[in-house]
Amino acid sequence: MSATSSGGEKRPVAAKGRRRSAGQWAVAWRRFRKNKVGLAGLVLVGFFVLAAVYGLFWAPYPPRSFDCLYQGCTSLPPFVNWAHPFGTERSGIDVYSEILHSIPNDFYVGLGATAISVVIGLVIGALAGYRRGFAAALLLGLTQVFLVIPVLVFILVFARIFILEVAEGFGLSLITIILGIFGWPTIAYIVRGEILRIRELEFIQAEKAIGASSGRIVFRHIVPNVLSSIIVVASLLIAGNILTEVVISFLGFGTPNVSTLGLLLNEGFSSIRATWWVSLFPGLAVVMLVLGFNLLGDGLSDALNPRLRE
Amino acid sequence: MGNLLSVEDLRTYFFTEAGVVKAVDGVSFSMEEGEALGFVGESGSGKTITALSIMGVVPIPGHIVSGKVVYRGDDLVGKSEKEMRTVRGKKIGYVSQDPNSSLDPLYTVGDQLVEVIRAHKETTKQEAMDEAASLLKLVKIPEPETRLKAYPHELSGGMRQRVAIARALAGQPELLIADEPTTNLDVTIQAQILELLNELQAQFRMALIMITHDMGIIAETTKRVMVFYAGMLAETASTSDVFGGPRHPYTSALLAAIPRTDRKRDLVPIPGNIPNLIEPPTGCRYHPRCPYSKDICVQTIPPWEVAGSGRLVACHRWKELKLSVG
Amino acid sequence: MGSLWVYVVRRLLFMIPVFLAVSILTFIVTNAAGNPISIIRFGIRNITPSQLSFLESYYHVNQPLYAQYFYWLSEFVQGNLGQSLVLGGPVSGLIGPWVLTTLELQITALVLSLVIGIPIAVYAAKHRGTVGDVAVTGTAIFGFSMPVFWVGIMLILVFSFYLGWLPPSGAVSAYPPYWWGNQYLDAIAHLILPATVLTFASIATFVRLIRANMVEVLRQDYILGARASGVPERSVTYKHALKNAITPVVTVVGLTFGLALAGAPATETTFSWPGLGYQFVRAASVLDLPVIIGITMIITIMALVANLITDLSYALLDPRVRLE
Repeated sequence: MSATSSGGEKRPVAAKGRRRSAGQWAVAWRRFRKNKVGLAGLVLVGFFVLAAVYGLFWAPYPPRSFDCLYQGCTSLPPFVNWAHPFGTERSGIDVYSEILHSIPNDFYVGLGATAISVVIGLVIGALAGYRRGFAAALLLGLTQVFLVIPVLVFILVFARIFILEVAEGFGLSLITIILGIFGWPTIAYIVRGEILRIRELEFIQAEKAIGASSGRIVFRHIVPNVLSSIIVVASLLIAGNILTEVVISFLGFGTPNVSTLGLLLNEGFSSIRATWWVSLFPGLAVVMLVLGFNLLGDGLSDALNPRLRE
Repeated sequence: MGNLLSVEDLRTYFFTEAGVVKAVDGVSFSMEEGEALGFVGESGSGKTITALSIMGVVPIPGHIVSGKVVYRGDDLVGKSEKEMRTVRGKKIGYVSQDPNSSLDPLYTVGDQLVEVIRAHKETTKQEAMDEAASLLKLVKIPEPETRLKAYPHELSGGMRQRVAIARALAGQPELLIADEPTTNLDVTIQAQILELLNELQAQFRMALIMITHDMGIIAETTKRVMVFYAGMLAETASTSDVFGGPRHPYTSALLAAIPRTDRKRDLVPIPGNIPNLIEPPTGCRYHPRCPYSKDICVQTIPPWEVAGSGRLVACHRWKELKLSVG
Repeated sequence: MGSLWVYVVRRLLFMIPVFLAVSILTFIVTNAAGNPISIIRFGIRNITPSQLSFLESYYHVNQPLYAQYFYWLSEFVQGNLGQSLVLGGPVSGLIGPWVLTTLELQITALVLSLVIGIPIAVYAAKHRGTVGDVAVTGTAIFGFSMPVFWVGIMLILVFSFYLGWLPPSGAVSAYPPYWWGNQYLDAIAHLILPATVLTFASIATFVRLIRANMVEVLRQDYILGARASGVPERSVTYKHALKNAITPVVTVVGLTFGLALAGAPATETTFSWPGLGYQFVRAASVLDLPVIIGITMIITIMALVANLITDLSYALLDPRVRLE
C-alpha cells in the first residue's frame, strides 16, 4: 500500500459515519458558531422565546380580552395610540397583546407535535431500517403512503370532528397530538435511510466481527449518527408544524378561545377591509418565527453534515 | 525548449472562505511531441490542478493568477471560452480518475461519444456513430456496436474507463492527460489499461502526461517525470535518472515508501502531514518533513536549478546530499 | 425500453394497495369519533327523518365496522359518493366542476413556477456564492417561511382594495360588468392573484432544491469530462448538469403538487376560489359528511396520480431507476 497518499482524490470528503465522540459535537458547535445563517435563525427563535416569557408577565391585556368594547377603542389602527401599538380588532381585542399570548401556544404546538413525531418516527424508522423482513417492508410501505397523501386534508377532518365532539378545553393539545401523529413518516423515512446507510459502513462490520452485541452497536454508533440528521429535520419540522397550525386555525378548525396566531389571522380576514392590520402583524410574526426555525435548520445542516470544499 | 507545450511559472490559486489556497505556486516545464511525461506527488500537491489549468477548466473558486501555458507557440491563458473549445478535446484530451463518475449516467455510451465527435467536426449522426464504434474498437472493447447503446452503469469499471479514454481521444488530440486513470480499478485491470495507454501513445505518436501518486506506474509508462510537492516542483528528470539517483529528499522518500518484496525491510512512511496550502511553510515547503533541512531551507525558497543534463531540482543542498534510491 | 414498461406496470400495480390504504385511513378518520350519524347530527341539527333513514342505510350503521367499510368502498368505486346534505344532489355530480376549478389554478401555478423557477435556480447554482445567488437563496427561504394564504391576503389588500387593479375573489364574475372587457379576460383577471401566490410558494421550494442539486451535479467528474473534451458550455449546463439535477427534483415536483393540493383549502378560502378546497372547508364547517369524505378521497387520489406521473417521468429520465 502506497504510504504517500490514500489515492489521489481531488476533493476530500468528510468520512460520514465516524464515531461521534464528544469531540465531534464540539467541532460541530464551533462550525455552527461560524455559520451566519444558523446564528440568525437562533437569534430569531431566541427573540421569540424571550417575547413569550415577556408576554407571560407583562402583556398589557389578558388573553382574549374584549376590554376595548367597553372603553371604546375598537378597530383602532396601529401606531395611533401607544397603548395599542398594533391596533385593535373590531371585537376590541388588542393585537399586540394577543400576539404575545399566542407565541407560547404556537411554540407548544410546534415543539410538542415535533417531539411526538420524532419519538414515533425514530422507533418505526429504526425497526424498518435495522431489521429485515416482512414487518420492515410493511412499515416502509406505510411510511411511503403517508408521505404521498395530502396529509393536511386528513388533519382538518380529524381536527374538525374531534374538536367538536370532544371537550373544548383540550383543543390545543388535541391539535398537537394530531399533528404529531401525522408527522412521523417524515422522520421515520429519514431515520430508516440513515440506518441503512450506516449499517453497511465498514466499522460496523468490524464491530460485529469482534462480537459486539446489537445493543451496543445501536447505542454507541448508530444513534449518534442518526441523531444529527434528526436534529436538522426536527428544526424544519417545527417550522412546518407551526405553519400547519396556523392554517388549521385560520380556516376555523382550531379552538376558538385559545390565542394562536392562526386564530388572529382568521379574525383579521373576516374584517379584512375594515381592520387590515389584524392580518398584517400576526402574519409577520408567523413569518419571522417560521423563518427562524428554517434558518436554524439550515445552519444545523451545514454544521452537522459538512462537505469540505476545495 | 519544448515544441509542443511550455508552461512558464504557472500559479493557480483558489479563493475560498477559509483563505487563499495556493494550489499551484510557480510550476514551469516543457514537453515535446510524442513525449511521455509523468506528474507524481501526494494528493493536494498540485498535479491535477496544473493539468486543469493547462486546459482552462479550473473549477470555481480557482483562477490562474499568473504564468503562461504556451501550446505550439500560442499562450492559452486568457483565451476566450470559444477559443479554448478548439483546444479541449481536439488538441488536448483528458481522462479523469473515477470511472464511476466520469461518464454521465443518464446518456448512453454512444450518445456521449457522438457528442464529443460532433463538437469538433461537422458530421451526420450516423457517421459519428460509426466513428464512435471504431473508437470503442480502438480501446479494445468487445462488441462495440452493442456497447454503444449501453448506459454507463451497465458496464464494468474497467470498461467504463476504456470508454472514458475513447471519449478523450474522440477529437484526435495530440496530447492526452491521464489523471490517475487506474487508481480506482482492480490491479489486473490496471495493468490492461496502462498497456492500452502505452499502445495508443505509440500508435498515434501522441504525447502523454501521466498523473499519479504511484511510482510504479511512473516507471512503467513515462520517460520523464516531474515531482510535485505542495504546489511547487521538487525535481524533474528522466525516469531512469530519478530511479537511479534522486536529487531531492522528497523524491528519495517517495521511492523509499514503495513496498518491496525483494528486500527485507519495514514500510518507511514519510513523517509529518501534507502542508497547509493557505499558509504554506516558509522557505522550502518540504523542510518540516525533511531529515536534511537546515536554516537556509526554512528561510529561503530554493531556486529551480539545473542539476545535470535534462535535470532540474529545487533544493538548497542537492549538491552535497547523497540520497538513497529507496 | 422493455424495462421501462415493466416498471410502469409495477408502479400501477403498486397503486392498488396504496389506494386501499388511503381508503382505510379515510374510513378510520371519519369514524374515529363515532359513527357518521352522530357526527352529522352534531353539525346539522334539523335532519329530516327521510334524510336520516337514507343515511342510515347508506352507511349501514347497523352492521359491524368492517362491513360498513366494505359497503362504503364498493359504493365509492362505483361512483356513488352519496348525497350532499346541505347542497342537495349527488356528490359525484357536484365534485366534477370543483375538480376542474381547482386544477385550473393548480396547473397554472405549477407551470409558471417551473418556467420561472428553473432558470433562476440554474443561474444561482452556476454563480454560486455571488451576490445574485445569495439574493436568490435568501428570497427562497423567506418564501417558504410565509403562510401561502397570508401572502394572498396581503396581495388582496394592495392590488384589490388599495389599487383596485384586480378582483379580490372568485374565479369568474357571475354577471357583467366583466373585468377587463370580456368573459375570457375576466377569468384571467381572476386567476392572476391566486396563481401568483401559489407560484411564489412553489418557486421557493423548487429553487432551493434545484439549486442544491445543480451545485452537487456541477462538481461531478462527468461535467469536467464533458467540458474537457470540448463540449460547448450550453450543452454541458443543460444537457448534462440540469438533466442530472432535475431527475431527483421531478419526484419533488409530484410531492409539491400533492402539498399544493392539500393546501388548496387555505388558498381557495382566501380568494373564495370555488374549487375542491373551498368546498371542503364549507362542507366541514357544517359537517356535510358525504361531501367531506368525497372531497378527501378525490384530493388524495389526485395526489396519488400526480405522484405516479412523476415516478414515471423519473424512470423516463434516469435509466438506473428502472432496475429497482
